Amino acid sequence: MFNILKFLKRYNPILLFVILEVLSIVMIVNSQPYHKRKMVNVSNEMSGKLFELTSQCNAYFHLKEENDRLSATNAMLMNMLGAADVVNDSVTTVWGNGIQLSDSLSRNSFYCFIPAHVIDNDIYNIHNYILLDKGSKDGIEIDMGVISDNGIVGTVSNVSRNYSSVISVLNPYTVVSAMFKDNKHLANVKWDNMDYRFGVVEDIPSHLVINKGDTLLTSGFSGSYPPDIMIGEVEDILPSDNEDFTRARIRFSTNFSTLRNVYIVKNNFKQELDSLKIY
Amino acid sequence: MYNKFFADIMRFMALILFQLFIVDNIRLGYYIHPVVYILFILLMPYNAQRWQVMLAAFGMGMIIDLFSGTPGLNAAAAVATSYVRHFVIVIMTRKSDLEEKYNPSLVEMGFTWFFTYSSILLCVYNLVYFMLEAFSFKLLNIILLQTLFSTLSSVALILLIMLLFIPKSNLTLNK
Repeated sequence: MFNILKFLKRYNPILLFVILEVLSIVMIVNSQPYHKRKMVNVSNEMSGKLFELTSQCNAYFHLKEENDRLSATNAMLMNMLGAADVVNDSVTTVWGNGIQLSDSLSRNSFYCFIPAHVIDNDIYNIHNYILLDKGSKDGIEIDMGVISDNGIVGTVSNVSRNYSSVISVLNPYTVVSAMFKDNKHLANVKWDNMDYRFGVVEDIPSHLVINKGDTLLTSGFSGSYPPDIMIGEVEDILPSDNEDFTRARIRFSTNFSTLRNVYIVKNNFKQELDSLKIY
Repeated sequence: MYNKFFADIMRFMALILFQLFIVDNIRLGYYIHPVVYILFILLMPYNAQRWQVMLAAFGMGMIIDLFSGTPGLNAAAAVATSYVRHFVIVIMTRKSDLEEKYNPSLVEMGFTWFFTYSSILLCVYNLVYFMLEAFSFKLLNIILLQTLFSTLSSVALILLIMLLFIPKSNLTLNK
């Protein structure tokens, strides 16, 4: 090893420069979406501990806003509970009303929600990831959806024992299956790669009339997100080079810059559904 | 001499912690991404070999990468900076300074010199960083804006840090 260093030192710094640069660029290129977090996973536990510490400090500065939001959510849940009691006889539950099974469903419902805290969150990179303080010991698995009080957040991409990392919606690799609230038409939502507030809806058939302010919800077909979770509202219509489809810019309902409390969505029938999709 | 070496090691760790837990949380917008840890590379002594500087830059970049989940990105930018550093120093510094002075710091070299020196190197760092992050030339105008604003903010932060840590005996900067 020492001889190699001596050789490099005597020969040329350019050689070392090229070797180190090639090494780094190979690493960058190899960091593909799902494999990307492999290497980071090793340090996940360690960095998770440290980030948790700093985010605990940060949390104190946001206590008041957070309390307000929690009490608002509480109130909303209470209301929903009341509503659910009323309509219980007609077997419609608030979550997962797309599929109605027997009444015993209340015991093991279609989706359950695991609360988690954001301990690291990036929004200004090209590929944005979020780190959460729940891991495999809490039952988190890869591909579970993550939502906040206001809308969708992302999909779990990697899990270690105590922490999990989430591919944020603000990532070129994320495509969310969406549905217009008014006419139930399907479309795909992506990030516009520029600004954490805006996304792009693609593949809207051009015969559909879209207006500013139209609401987009999740379709629930991917199995990661429950149906009818808010995604955002149409901000303006974009020019498209394809005549058959139109595109539109949307404003995400989730505010990614102030993300603190989120819920990880566990689909209790995910395995069963996936086994059907294969055949 | 021993003291200065010890100070270098302390600076290494302090700058990494400062970058990860304080500076990385300062995001004033899409274009501003200040970087401070590279100050360690800027301040390496004149008598350090070029391969030492480059390996230090690579190691430091990898540590930052490990924590921010971007394998290779910071390392590539830091190595490029450390490579250019040699030429900037050779062009900007007199031979006598190279032998007499310990490292290219604010106290040793004066304000104007250090400002130019750090601006050039941070410009290199940020340009490489943002080009590799975008990994295409489609976003060139964004890359250039990001480079400009990030360089300005980083230089400001670095000058602040240097001013904070001036030894009391050196409070007059006119050298």
